[in-house]
Amino acid sequence: MNLQELVQTRKLLVCVGSGGVGKTTTAASLALAGALAGRRTLVLTIDPARRLANSLGLQEFGNTEVRIELGPEVKGELWAMMLDAPSTLRDVIRKVAKDDAQRDAVYNNRIFKAISGSFSGSQEYMATERLYDVHISGRYDLIVLDTPPVKNALDFLESPGRLVKFLDRQIMKWFLTPLEEDRVFGKRLWLGTAAVVYRLLGHIFGKEFLGELSVFFTLFRDFYEGFRERHEAVGKIFTSDATRFLVVAAPTDPSVEVARFFLQELAQRSCPTAGVIMNQVHRCSNNPPDVEALLGSSARALDPVQAPSVLARVGAAHRRLRELANLDQQRVEELRRAAGSRLWMKVIPRISGEVHDLAGLRGLHHYLIEDSVHSV
Amino acid sequence: MTSADSSLLFRARTLFLTGKGGTGKTALSAAVGRLAAAQGRKTLVVEVDNQRPSLTSIFGVTPSYAPVEVSKNLSICNVEWTAAMDDWLADMVSIPRLVMMITHNRVVSVFLQATPGARDLVVLWRIFQLSRNYETVIVDLPASGNAVAMMQVPNTARTLFDSGPIRGCAEQLLDFFRQPGVGLVQVCLPEEMVITETVETFRKIRGELPMLKIPAVVLNRTTPPSIQPAERALLEKLRAGATDTLAVELTEAGLWDAELEVATLNARQRLAAEMGLPVISLPVHSRGEGSARVVGQLASALARASQSPVTWREG
Repeated sequence: MNLQELVQTRKLLVCVGSGGVGKTTTAASLALAGALAGRRTLVLTIDPARRLANSLGLQEFGNTEVRIELGPEVKGELWAMMLDAPSTLRDVIRKVAKDDAQRDAVYNNRIFKAISGSFSGSQEYMATERLYDVHISGRYDLIVLDTPPVKNALDFLESPGRLVKFLDRQIMKWFLTPLEEDRVFGKRLWLGTAAVVYRLLGHIFGKEFLGELSVFFTLFRDFYEGFRERHEAVGKIFTSDATRFLVVAAPTDPSVEVARFFLQELAQRSCPTAGVIMNQVHRCSNNPPDVEALLGSSARALDPVQAPSVLARVGAAHRRLRELANLDQQRVEELRRAAGSRLWMKVIPRISGEVHDLAGLRGLHHYLIEDSVHSV
Repeated sequence: MTSADSSLLFRARTLFLTGKGGTGKTALSAAVGRLAAAQGRKTLVVEVDNQRPSLTSIFGVTPSYAPVEVSKNLSICNVEWTAAMDDWLADMVSIPRLVMMITHNRVVSVFLQATPGARDLVVLWRIFQLSRNYETVIVDLPASGNAVAMMQVPNTARTLFDSGPIRGCAEQLLDFFRQPGVGLVQVCLPEEMVITETVETFRKIRGELPMLKIPAVVLNRTTPPSIQPAERALLEKLRAGATDTLAVELTEAGLWDAELEVATLNARQRLAAEMGLPVISLPVHSRGEGSARVVGQLASALARASQSPVTWREG
């Protein structure tokens, strides 16, 4: 299945890879391809660094879906959203809360504040929520998900599991029980073990904090089932046939290494992987050109003073470009071997300047979708 | 705000390095470490909980939790959070039997592991402990967004805990950040988006962790400006007039090179203006930063930069 077919037929495309390989830009470009193919498409980035707006040439936007105008001739739609973890969690609570009082009680809990704001990993938790929301909303035919660099992208794949762990029913029980002792059957035995857990945690967290944690879990009890269900559902989405993972890489040693790692991990997790996109590949013909024969006379005719230094300059620049192109080719081959015959690989040449507007994305789209010469 | 003094980069006791993914911060961490070791200081380069440590390809040794010496004065390690959690518990809870009970109790240990921020806190604690055994510790932090979240964990813990071991731990870590020899440096590239992200991260750190000293910003993979306007004009005319494919490719190679020079110049100006820090420029080695040879070259470039931090004139 090539990229054109992917953007036409799948519901979710997930771009993974190391930082600095053009992942966000690739995701935006794939979403554009989906829109141009007539689908309602959303590109969602959970990268804590806010670069999607940048690559779409927009002002910064928050947790809402923003439509990117493509012109009347385009049948599909292109939407973009950047994740803002704290407001996502507040949205979730507002939706599930029974009344304003319960909502405010959660908002004002110190532990809630900490979890929703500054802890690392909260982006991943909340991204799962957001992804679930937009996925089941039915608003989009295609969602393209951009993930953070390597280590945290894996956290993202694992986050459904980890959040469920933190809110594990068994664990919550330990905290809830002391507040509602009378409801528990076999109270004596129960309190015996609970007391041990309590004492042990007390040594680390302090008694006072445990009290607050109990309040937090009591407040959260009503939200728990919903959380668990949603996160399990996202786990299923990741392995569904309507989803494809794309490994994005650039021709550098660390990036190729990370890409190989992802190929293995995705296979292990039974995440359906479509192929590899190798960005930023330098292109250059292999033989040293005869600078003097090609440009000597015209350069001297145009500017005899500057000609010698410019001719030397282009010769040296071409030599450097040749070296880079050769090294890049080695990395392309290496990753192609790692991907094996089952996956395709798309090689995208380095684009002069940076992609930071729609015109740039359309240029990249040309290489990704239309220009099939370099694909395998 | 502490006034910027780039020399801290070269004489730090603990230096945290971060940057957008792909900027070469691991290679730079290795290079700063190698330079410190060459200057005779007992040095440790730390990777943070990396399942596939990037330092392996540089030093030919896979860093383990316990530091391994890779050359004279130079050791490397990978602070895995699971092992750090055990050490942290041992430090927080002084009774060994109690630690045993905690680690053996499923509910308690699952809870500890799943608590948001716990991983970062125990990793920072381990780095703090390691910093007592070395003259110089270089920490290769995760990419910017996550590095900031990690460094903020002591602050968050302090607002959550009024007393108890975690409060004490957070206070000690914040004191550690305040120490004169402790600083943080960001690695940037001469590319618009990377610069924007670097500046945003810098403002965030300044706002939320004002005690962290930021001595300089490192601009990696630079091409020193050398092209003259007249040369550029001729190059453009040649490109416009070229018809032969190879002639076009040649002139485009020349313009590509000139573009890199302009990008470097713009990056230096933007970083200096928006961050108000000395900019330390390092040359291009982008294609093999995972190798020992390139790390050696980076270390030499750093050594030169440490003599006179501004390596070449502006435009």
